[in-house]
Amino acid sequence: MNRRYIQKLGFTFAIYWRLIAIQMRAQVQYRVSFLLEVLSAAITMSMFFISLSLVFARFGNLAGWTLGEVAFLWAIVEVAFGLMDMIFSGFDPINFGRRVRQGTLDQLLLRPVNITIQVLGDDFVLRRLGRICEGFIIFAVALKLAHIDWTLGKLLYLPCVVIGLVCFFGGLFIVGATITFWTVDSIEAMNILTYGGSEMLSYPAHIYPDWLRRTFMYIVPALFLNYYPALYFLHKPDPFGLPAIMPFVAPLVGIGLLWGSLVFWRFGIRHYQSTGT
Amino acid sequence: MRLFWELTKLSFQRQLTYRAALVAGLATNLFFGILRASVLVALYGARTEVAGMSIRDAITYTALTQGIITYLSIFGWYDLMNSIASGEVTADLLKPLSYFRFWLAQDLGRAIVAFFLRGVSIMLLYMLIYDITLPHGIEQGLALTAAFSLSWFVSFAWRFLVNLAAFWTPNAKGVGRFAFGIAWVLSGFFMPLRFFPAWFITLCNFTPFPSMVNTNIEIYLGLLTGAALWQALLLQVVWAVGLTLLCQAILRRGVRHLVVQGG
Repeated sequence: MNRRYIQKLGFTFAIYWRLIAIQMRAQVQYRVSFLLEVLSAAITMSMFFISLSLVFARFGNLAGWTLGEVAFLWAIVEVAFGLMDMIFSGFDPINFGRRVRQGTLDQLLLRPVNITIQVLGDDFVLRRLGRICEGFIIFAVALKLAHIDWTLGKLLYLPCVVIGLVCFFGGLFIVGATITFWTVDSIEAMNILTYGGSEMLSYPAHIYPDWLRRTFMYIVPALFLNYYPALYFLHKPDPFGLPAIMPFVAPLVGIGLLWGSLVFWRFGIRHYQSTGT
Repeated sequence: MRLFWELTKLSFQRQLTYRAALVAGLATNLFFGILRASVLVALYGARTEVAGMSIRDAITYTALTQGIITYLSIFGWYDLMNSIASGEVTADLLKPLSYFRFWLAQDLGRAIVAFFLRGVSIMLLYMLIYDITLPHGIEQGLALTAAFSLSWFVSFAWRFLVNLAAFWTPNAKGVGRFAFGIAWVLSGFFMPLRFFPAWFITLCNFTPFPSMVNTNIEIYLGLLTGAALWQALLLQVVWAVGLTLLCQAILRRGVRHLVVQGG
């Protein structure tokens, strides 16, 4: 790598940092209002898990999984989705679609800075900390209830699983945003993958009908991102008898999907035609 | 009154124009419905009945709840606060129709379209996949009609009330997110209220939320009959009237408070 390349990379990151620093400063400007937003997000989001646990008392288990084990899945998805929603908000198809529709994307394209970095720095939603906090609380519940035998390997692998999921959901946002180049409006069907996917991954995969599970294993490989790693962490047998390596492909799958989405994004940018508004 | 129906009609026609959005919306509702049904089926396991609900009732419950999301619109409705932020509110307040009824009329048009295109369609799609419970008999039909209508009214009054926050704070969206967020659980949308411990059900019954979702479900599944049914309908009426009065009172104060930023 030559020096100029490294310099350029440094410049790009400096720009990104500047962009999100402005966002963050603006968002915490009204301190009380900001804290209330974070708190209220944490409360409303945790109500779902609290009600699940209240209902769990009546049933005892979910297809062989205890509350603590479901909490493990749930917590990882919440933390990852919250992080993704905070970082990748610029690519949120709803916001990005508005940019395409109103033609404000053209402004970004005229600037001499990498377009991907600009869109990424376009929005950084700090109040998602509420959802992330909620995820950590549920993770604490999982730790207390699920009795995981921690090893060094597991400890090191856990952040990789979260990163894999962040990449996966981020990739979905990027694909959704890119599609708006052609459709102009954000397509609601992408919600099935993003919000639907996060809901789906919060429960063990073997509860779903076969066609649905297969779709989310082999077409959209979402279930390798947290269900299989969870089998490893919770020391559970694989009900589908896949090779023993499967719990460990999560980071690769996540990064691969993000990379693929960026390729699609660049293709979209090259073919972008302004709406003219 | 003619103006009221004109507004309803216009809103009705406006909703009918978004056909692609309809298909996408139905697909999303159905997808979430299948996920939720799978969770309930897994929870039931070998049980055939829990808290008076058979597994078929539980699946029907997910169909019903997915079907009425758009009809009730209780998980996010920011139209009114947006109109305050944009300043359109000044023109709306000048209309020869009370502000409450102005929005009620438009919401009625929206709700009617949503009930048939989103609600009934979801039930039909569900019938292709699952064996679901269907209502029967004139009595249950009448009770359901009353409950569904009242639940829409209660939900509207609640949404109107929440949106009024925009008369005071520019950050009304945050208030809305919280107020709409708690409804997911307390209305009996996330899980049937019957599955919860008694203290939690009592807590919910102090809020208007069960009158928006849970009452419809229990009547549909035939879990409420006789005196209990009348009591549930009466409670809906009480919430409808109470919330409307509250809306009017707060609106009067809000209007005096309103500052529209020119521009």
